[in-house]
Amino acid sequence: MTTSENRFVHVDSSKCLGCRSCEIACGLSHQDLDLFSAALHGHKLEPRIVVKHSEQGPITVQCRHCEDAPCVQVCPVNALYHQAGMVTLSEETCIGCRLCSKACPFGAIRVRVKSQLEGGKAVNKAKALKCDLCISRIGAVSEEACACIQSCPVKAMKLITAAEYQHKIC
Amino acid sequence: MNKNQSCEPCANEMLTLARTNKFETVWDRYEQQLPQCGFGLLGVCCRLCWKGPCRVNPVGDGPDQGVCGADVHTIVARNLIRGIAAGTAAHSDHGRHIAKTLLEMSEGHAPDYIIKDQEKLHGIAARLNISLDGKEHNQLLREIALKSLEDFSRQDEKIPCAWLESTIPEVRLAKLTALGVAPHNIDASIADIMARTHVGTDADPANLLLAGLRGSLADYTGMYLATELSDALFGTPEPVVTSANLGVIKANCVNIAVNGHNPLLSEFVCDMAAELNDEAIQAGADGGINVVGVCCTGNEVLMRRGIPLATNYLSQELPILTGALDAIVVDVQCIMPSLGKLSECFHTKLITTMSSCKIPGATHIEFQTQTAKESSREIIRLAIAAYKRRDHDKVNIPQHSSTVIGGFSAEAVVGALSKLDANDPLKPLLDNIVNGNIQGVALFAGCNTPKVPQDQAYLTIAKELAKRNVLLLATGCGAGAFAKAGMMTMEATEEFAGDSLKAVLRAIGEAAGLNGPLPLVLHMGSCVDNTRAVSLAVALANKIGVDLDQLPVVASAPECMSEKALAIGTWAVSLGFPTHLGVIPQVMGSSVVVDVLTEKTKDLTGGYFIVETDPQAAAQKIYTAIQERRQLLGI
Repeated sequence: MTTSENRFVHVDSSKCLGCRSCEIACGLSHQDLDLFSAALHGHKLEPRIVVKHSEQGPITVQCRHCEDAPCVQVCPVNALYHQAGMVTLSEETCIGCRLCSKACPFGAIRVRVKSQLEGGKAVNKAKALKCDLCISRIGAVSEEACACIQSCPVKAMKLITAAEYQHKIC
Repeated sequence: MNKNQSCEPCANEMLTLARTNKFETVWDRYEQQLPQCGFGLLGVCCRLCWKGPCRVNPVGDGPDQGVCGADVHTIVARNLIRGIAAGTAAHSDHGRHIAKTLLEMSEGHAPDYIIKDQEKLHGIAARLNISLDGKEHNQLLREIALKSLEDFSRQDEKIPCAWLESTIPEVRLAKLTALGVAPHNIDASIADIMARTHVGTDADPANLLLAGLRGSLADYTGMYLATELSDALFGTPEPVVTSANLGVIKANCVNIAVNGHNPLLSEFVCDMAAELNDEAIQAGADGGINVVGVCCTGNEVLMRRGIPLATNYLSQELPILTGALDAIVVDVQCIMPSLGKLSECFHTKLITTMSSCKIPGATHIEFQTQTAKESSREIIRLAIAAYKRRDHDKVNIPQHSSTVIGGFSAEAVVGALSKLDANDPLKPLLDNIVNGNIQGVALFAGCNTPKVPQDQAYLTIAKELAKRNVLLLATGCGAGAFAKAGMMTMEATEEFAGDSLKAVLRAIGEAAGLNGPLPLVLHMGSCVDNTRAVSLAVALANKIGVDLDQLPVVASAPECMSEKALAIGTWAVSLGFPTHLGVIPQVMGSSVVVDVLTEKTKDLTGGYFIVETDPQAAAQKIYTAIQERRQLLGI
């Protein structure tokens, strides 16, 4: 089996203003909504990137596409797996059991629960929600395709590999 | 071409040049701002105190209130009415400046000014209940000025502003008074908005929005007096033929652009240009001095003097790129600070003239009403000196310009109609509205914005409405758009008007001796002149004894941008007009505010906002609003 190094969205926290534009862009693009109608009709966005406050300033949290990903290891239905240089989620397979959320050391996986009626009884449909590097909406991974990177007003984000990351911090 | 740039050829010719030479324009800077902040676009960011900034997240899991507990509706309403206050302050300061000039004239401190339209002055006196009997000219001026300035200083809240009370139907004034939104004092209305939006004061969105309506009507008041007093001072516009677009800049002339809004200075720039013409010729410009207009100062001098219009707001940088603009003289409002930097790339002299408007990179010549002529001479001599430094190899003037028939003040429209019926000039207009030859009236107002292709929405909506026999009026940068595109011509009437509208415009034009129809779009002036259109609507309403919200009259601001436009749009709604916005206002974060502005105001004032960004769909919605009014009137 060939292995390629995963890519992930790196945020330069010294640049991040905490404006949360990335959250909005992520939610809108994955849900195929426009901002004004989402606001007006009360559609809640479900961003896969979240801006958190830390003592050092704002930081973003999203899937780092770990090489030895705990979420992949714990998934009981193999809905999470490595493919094409990223940690991929199969929404059809996912049962929303939250094991991946628990296993993720960054808290980068949320589970979205939707109740719906099936045959007269309420059924919960749950799916994990994590950064997919926008492959689900564009079909390929690139910096230009990542909604969060494109939305950042201070250009604090980059799509990089672990090697590039290493180079950055050393 | 970038899809969001201009839709007209002169601008695109200059933008190609800008790209080649790496001159930055408003469109480049807009691109650099993208994507714009979602919280800002929704109006949900509150910066009113230093516990913040707070932003409510109406599309997420929270927070749903600011640190103080203000919810999204409070925050959006506060932000909105602060914008209205700023717009009102801008317009009304313009009005105050004109009124104070009248006062200075009466005291002998503004020797260069004269009253050019005595009849208008007397009409104003009558409107303000000032008797003419045996009064010296200066005494009359003084009384008119003081009565107008009283609209900025009255402390009795029960007495509405004189310029509001005397210009709208009684039934409308009664309605506004009952709502508590008839302002007694322009400045107080602005101060009230600032006070109630201070931290820990008004949190009720409906109460906040009512204060916004009052503020907008103060804006109306300030605008109305600005226009009327300017007419008395500089003359009431009459139909005039001129031209528009960048081709009005002449290679063999000293070209001086006047940009901004206030005619107090630009009138003298025009006068002194004529006086100093020989100095320009001696400097080598055999065509002499060529004054051209930009934005609304451009509209002011177009309307009164037939000065050609180079361009409207959004493309105000482009005249500099022709390399043949020797000076750009600015007063106040809608002047891009970028002119400073851009003019330094050329020989062009940017000259600021008002103490409240200085721009880095500009030469400042403080304009005083006491020395209007002298200041203007100094400005023109700076332009001539700049001309001597012009690099003629850099000159690149687009050759296109369109004919413009402008100058349609309310008086001019009534004057043209009086040729059909001297005893009852409004009757032909009214008859044609009633019989459906004219389905309704649409006033295009407002700005330009790089969020849409420049001018395109104006042109699309106007053509759609003209086809459906709607009479079209325009002011401000809307008027600029139509002027540049050749829509203020007889040919445009022939090409775009529906058959019955065309017949009416022909009949009026022929009777008025124009040897052809009235132009398709009537140029009613700068953006401060929107009240000219209201005065016509009020005359119609009074004639048939209805309120303004019953008339098939609509307003449209397809490319609105400024806080002044926000104030104008809000008073149009307050007066009862359906008012279209073609740019999504920064209020969408609050369903309550949106509901009030687009629905609830129907019950309060009869007016409401229509937000529609697609020009074709907007035209349909505007036409539907006209039809609804016609049905209610039973016509």
